[in-house]
Amino acid sequence: MTLAGLVKIITDASSSDDEDTAIVFEIQKLSTEDGPGIRTTVFFKSCPLECAWCQNPEGIDRQPSIQWYKQKCIGCGTCVQSCPKGALTLDADGIHLDRPLCDACGICADSCPGTAMKKFGTTWTLDALLAEVAKDKAYYETSGGGVTASGGEPMMQARFLAKFFARCKALGISTAIETCGLAPKPAFEAVLPNVDMVMYDIKEIDPELHEQFTGVKNDLILANCTWIASDLASTGKPFWIRTPIIPGFTATEENIRGIAEFIISNLNNQVERWDLLAFNNLPADKYERMDKQWTLKGQSLIGKADMEWFQSIATSVGVTNVHWSGLTR
Amino acid sequence: MTCDSATESPRFKVAAPHDLSPRAKWLRDYYFMGNERAWNNQYSPFTTGTPWDRVFGEGDYYIVPEIYFYIGTKKTRGPYATSLEVMAQQVPLPEGFWSHSVPERRSIFFQEVMINQIPQEIISDNDLLAGGRFNTQLSKCLDDKEENAFEKQNLRNRQVVFKFHGDGFGNAGATGGHLIANYKGIVENGFKSLHEKAKDAHDKLGPTEKKGSKGSELRAMMLSAETPAKLASKYAEECRRLAEVAESTDRRMELEQMARNLDRVPWEPATTFWEGLQAVWIAHMLIIAEESYPGPGTSFGRIDQYLWPLYKKDVIDEQNITREFAKDLISSFIFHCNTAYDAQIKIGNQGITSGFGQLITLSGIGQDGEDVTNDLTYAILECFDEWNPILEPKPNIRLHRNSPDRLLDMIVSMISRSQGAPFILNFDERSIAGMLVEGITSSDAWDYACVGCLENTMQGDDRSGTVNCNPNLAKSIELTLWNGKNMPGNKGISKPGTQLGPRTGDPASFTTWEQFYDAWKTQVGFVIKNTVDVYNLTEATRAKFLPTPYVSILVDGCIEAGHDVRAGPPRHAFVTIEGVGFATTVDSLLAIKKFVYDDKKFTIDEIKAALQADFKGTKEQAVMQALLKNKAPKYGVDDPTADALARDAMAFWASETWKYKTPTGYQFRPGMLSWNYWAGEDAGLTVATPNGRNAGTFLSNAICPTNGVDTNGPTSVANSVGTALGGKTSDGEYCSVLPNGASHTITFNPSILRDEEHREKFKAYLRGYIENGGSALQINMLDAAMLKDAQDHPENYGTLLVRVTGYNAYFTAIGKELQDEIIARESHTM
Repeated sequence: MTLAGLVKIITDASSSDDEDTAIVFEIQKLSTEDGPGIRTTVFFKSCPLECAWCQNPEGIDRQPSIQWYKQKCIGCGTCVQSCPKGALTLDADGIHLDRPLCDACGICADSCPGTAMKKFGTTWTLDALLAEVAKDKAYYETSGGGVTASGGEPMMQARFLAKFFARCKALGISTAIETCGLAPKPAFEAVLPNVDMVMYDIKEIDPELHEQFTGVKNDLILANCTWIASDLASTGKPFWIRTPIIPGFTATEENIRGIAEFIISNLNNQVERWDLLAFNNLPADKYERMDKQWTLKGQSLIGKADMEWFQSIATSVGVTNVHWSGLTR
Repeated sequence: MTCDSATESPRFKVAAPHDLSPRAKWLRDYYFMGNERAWNNQYSPFTTGTPWDRVFGEGDYYIVPEIYFYIGTKKTRGPYATSLEVMAQQVPLPEGFWSHSVPERRSIFFQEVMINQIPQEIISDNDLLAGGRFNTQLSKCLDDKEENAFEKQNLRNRQVVFKFHGDGFGNAGATGGHLIANYKGIVENGFKSLHEKAKDAHDKLGPTEKKGSKGSELRAMMLSAETPAKLASKYAEECRRLAEVAESTDRRMELEQMARNLDRVPWEPATTFWEGLQAVWIAHMLIIAEESYPGPGTSFGRIDQYLWPLYKKDVIDEQNITREFAKDLISSFIFHCNTAYDAQIKIGNQGITSGFGQLITLSGIGQDGEDVTNDLTYAILECFDEWNPILEPKPNIRLHRNSPDRLLDMIVSMISRSQGAPFILNFDERSIAGMLVEGITSSDAWDYACVGCLENTMQGDDRSGTVNCNPNLAKSIELTLWNGKNMPGNKGISKPGTQLGPRTGDPASFTTWEQFYDAWKTQVGFVIKNTVDVYNLTEATRAKFLPTPYVSILVDGCIEAGHDVRAGPPRHAFVTIEGVGFATTVDSLLAIKKFVYDDKKFTIDEIKAALQADFKGTKEQAVMQALLKNKAPKYGVDDPTADALARDAMAFWASETWKYKTPTGYQFRPGMLSWNYWAGEDAGLTVATPNGRNAGTFLSNAICPTNGVDTNGPTSVANSVGTALGGKTSDGEYCSVLPNGASHTITFNPSILRDEEHREKFKAYLRGYIENGGSALQINMLDAAMLKDAQDHPENYGTLLVRVTGYNAYFTAIGKELQDEIIARESHTM
């Protein structure tokens, strides 16, 4: 994929980025791992990357999608009858979805008596989303928490995000973003003034490996990282780096050392914290429900000793405040 | 810093005692020897010896349906009563015993039993407080005429109560315990002051009054006020006797000090912390002894406040005793409280039933809204922490906006080191808002404390029965659907077709939701009234025949009025109606509103047919059940529409309770403590409900959402609970329509406490709960047993929060392999 092609995709996304509505696939309350304090995490749909280890594959496409939950199905066939495209069939193995036929209208999910059919990707208006996140304001205040935009890649809906964050701030709600960094500079410039902290992914320092693992190059990502870190430092806002530690992919000494060196050379004491995130094997079921193969299916968890070792590498290069988290072997 | 790892030691910390002093350790180990102990505090039954004598008070147990079988049937006395009578020891009665009034006979009998029939025992060289055996079953001291009259009423009451329960209405009965006696008054003024008060009141009576019930009661009270002093005297003797043969000088000196303490308290005011605890203990054990009902809710109140001046003097200012010794005194106290469970120790499970709850209320606000946590608060909490697991006394910790960090740190630390919180948290702002509704002024309400499990009560002048009435609110749904009758096919005790409730109309004729909701209001009002009527019968009987003059002197207002606490009101006098099955009821209303009236997807007759078939008749009914269960709005997920109905329904049924008073002048009021009824008897007797629940299965628990609904997590459920109670005014003032409080349980994933950072978040959650949540919170932690259950019933474990950075985690509908994965990460015993 060329940079020009990539920019086009982003531009397309931005142009259809309605500033008053957004497509969101989950809103998670009492989030304890997505920034300081107690937070509500809003998962925005659409992502320009396609990481091999993605833990929210349902968030990659901009379009909503349907998933069927076998264990919840009572076999009533209501969804089959309700589908205007005839995309559903029911046999001894359960429900089958003909995805090319499906346009994710969501009628099946609405008509399902249980919770066996779910549509990922709901349109939220600014007002409605604000009302939803405001519900937990008391907990943000007692914990120093707030709202975190995650996903998918929230910057794919940057115009909405900018407005949303401004409204959060006006309500006294603190804001944070979890981003992969692949978005045009103007988009970030619109969003950052109303962001109180940034959690920025640096997944793989080697450009070729990065493209292999995620489908895109990392030059824009690293360039954005540098100026954003500087921007946040000048306004006194925390800037955190996140790195997923994936066996067979990013979990190498070269990578961690390389990222550490990048931080030391380019991000001059601007990184308040660096989190190493252990490979998460829980998403396996999501891929199955999406009728997708997962490269990492059956991959065992990384060892605790390995996480500690990576942490020590990072620290030895000179990065301070390195944490690791997640379930390990 | 590390986080969860599959190779680390098991996540589930089972609490274990630690750092106990040798004395405390000995006492704890001795207690847990249970039935193997040489000594125990099991029931000692006593009789007047008459052939008609009654020793067992079955009325106390009408709120424990599990033992109805043991109470008897239509005319029999039942196994409990007869076995106690057979075992009962005859008590020598003084001349002229039978010429006295019943209260006087009771007080004479009681004194004779406590002083001369039950031995005075110091439980080992490690015991620092006198007061060993106190579980009694006492003769009701009725003569044959009275017993006849009583028996008639008793059998009638029994049948009424059994029928009430058998028709699925819940239970009601005038039961004992559930009060905070005037311990503060005893510590500060001694029983001498109560004796004086009673004597003054008696002296002021005119000759007719003296001959009447007031005179009888006051004389009984005077005698009762002397009983603790006489008991202390005998215990002092015993201490001196043991001192003479003590094996060590230290122990001899301790026993001599105990004797000196007992020379003074509880007749005179306490002058040391040791005396204070001793006075409280004797006062308390005698309540349990007189009522013959071991410690159900007989609670201590704010002991860290009324014993603080003595503790401060002895431990901090004058250093008369070390802090460690003060904790040893508290340990003795803890030991004695636990022996309440010895009552039925031979029955098994160390005699532990669910019926106890001697609460200690800690911390909270003072008169000016200031925090009053002190070093005694922490010393007591440390003792609990060191003894944990231990069942009594049960600590209730009062939290408020300005609760100190140190207290919250201790709370979180204790929770993180055991599989659940060994205490209940109470929330001042919400609780006080509720108490104002019942007429407690703001200049008094700050001093509330808890009885039972968490019920808000005033101290020393409040005998508010808190679990006397436990109606099954969900019954109102059935009555609305079947026009005041049981559902056909309901195996209730009444004949099929009996008109139980009012005729609110065939719901098939209702064309609007408002009509249905109005009909429901009438039926739930009937459920309340029915409860009141049943309860009032039991209370009237108890008032006439079963006085407790000793307890009465400990509740301000009774001496002044010259009436027994069971025959007339003290200063504060309420009877709580605890609504059971709230969320089941609300979710049923929400389902009917949506599917019958808003979406018009089902007719009310289709719903009724499905309920009758328990959703198992046709495939369409199975689909309907899924819709009712999954696609209707639910209370508990912070959904404004659903919670608005919850709030309205709560306010309505609560308002119905205020209409009624008891025969003895107590005011009914609402609360929400479901104890175990929601999972036990009531559940079994409730037909299928329109929220998609199958017949006979669990109802909702107290103010918690329906099991399995709570998938938005602890912040959302806390918000819903606060809303249901009334939320806040536009000025930010707390509202609560339940003065007695509401029980709320949340189960957390222990990973939320795994390190310092997360414990801070949990603390912050608690501070958020103070803002948005209810009046009380019981915190459980997931354990291995729950996780095993989660595999079979994942729908019940939406609270199994999986939180991973950036991960959209939804546990509710995942496959078995993934469940296994998550469960493996949580438990290493599988």
